[in-house]
Amino acid sequence: MPAELRLMIPTNESVEPDDRQLVRTIRSGDSEAFEQLVRRKTTKVYSLCYRIIGNAEDAKDISQLVFIKLWENIEKYDPTYAFDTWLYRMVTNVAIDFMRNKQSRENAVNSTLRLVKTSADAEQGVVVQRKEIENVFNAVSSVLSPKQKMIFVMSEMDDLRSSEIARILGCRESTVRNHLFNARKLMQQQLKRRFPEYSRLWEERQ
Amino acid sequence: MISCQSFRANVTSREPEILEHLRKCDACLEFAVSADPDHFFRSIGGEELEPPGGVEAFTADVMAQVRLRQAEGSVARRFLIPPRRLAAAAAVVVAIAGGTLVWQRREHPAAVIAPAIVARVTRPVVTKPVVETYQSQNATIVELPSQGKNDANVVMIFDDSLPADL
Repeated sequence: MPAELRLMIPTNESVEPDDRQLVRTIRSGDSEAFEQLVRRKTTKVYSLCYRIIGNAEDAKDISQLVFIKLWENIEKYDPTYAFDTWLYRMVTNVAIDFMRNKQSRENAVNSTLRLVKTSADAEQGVVVQRKEIENVFNAVSSVLSPKQKMIFVMSEMDDLRSSEIARILGCRESTVRNHLFNARKLMQQQLKRRFPEYSRLWEERQ
Repeated sequence: MISCQSFRANVTSREPEILEHLRKCDACLEFAVSADPDHFFRSIGGEELEPPGGVEAFTADVMAQVRLRQAEGSVARRFLIPPRRLAAAAAVVVAIAGGTLVWQRREHPAAVIAPAIVARVTRPVVTKPVVETYQSQNATIVELPSQGKNDANVVMIFDDSLPADL
């Protein structure tokens, strides 16, 4: 009876606790459960931070700060909401604070480090390369407000819907769409000024 | 991952499989961006990135900080008097002080302090003229009119020959 035999075989598979269960264990004082949660969410948190901040070391520091805040505020988590929504909210708060401080420090520097392509480059065909897009994004997104950048990244790179972003930021969906619209417009203007060879893509569509 | 053909047929969609293809297939990237320029920045998303040094090192760093904060918190708790205890201690002090005051009042009622009588001595002002008689050829003598019976009589003498310390 192969079916019965299969039932007798002990399995090594263990069901991983979901986020809410982990939070319950952490609240009872289990730091190992917290370690498990950190391991599970590191890439998610770091990726978002990296895309928002645009610098690996800063993104790492911000991510660490997010997890420490998470540990300190774990009692405040309401399990009726998705854990990731709460986690993203924490990331946005910490990252926005960081960006506001950084923006005020670096505004003057950024204005002098403008990349300007020659018109001859613009005439040539567009060769789109991923690494180049990342650099272009870091350059043109510097004109966005922290909130606009946050919404743009969550929508375009993390593929979150407007309703999810609104829940994370605690605002209306229409506000999210407005920010997104303005962010696109500002970035197109920046592309036109600094990377005319890419801005033609948008102009051709219009 | 879906084929390049199906990707190109639904390139403007934002379905997860379309976005996955957009982010992985270099051959379709340029086509996608020319079809929908919003794919330009969309193409760098999706992938979950690892922090420098890897996930394990990152987790170890976070846990070290958490343990440090835990230790700091327990030390602080040991030296910090909780507000509830502080309030109870204050209430005890107030009760003892109040009781002592009441007891003292009963045992030793406060003596009635008689109002101090301040005798005011009024002395008539006696004035004595410094110069009783004065005769001079060059002096100008001004006598101020007195305003009452007891008023002092003021007489001013202006004379260059008078000594300064008179």
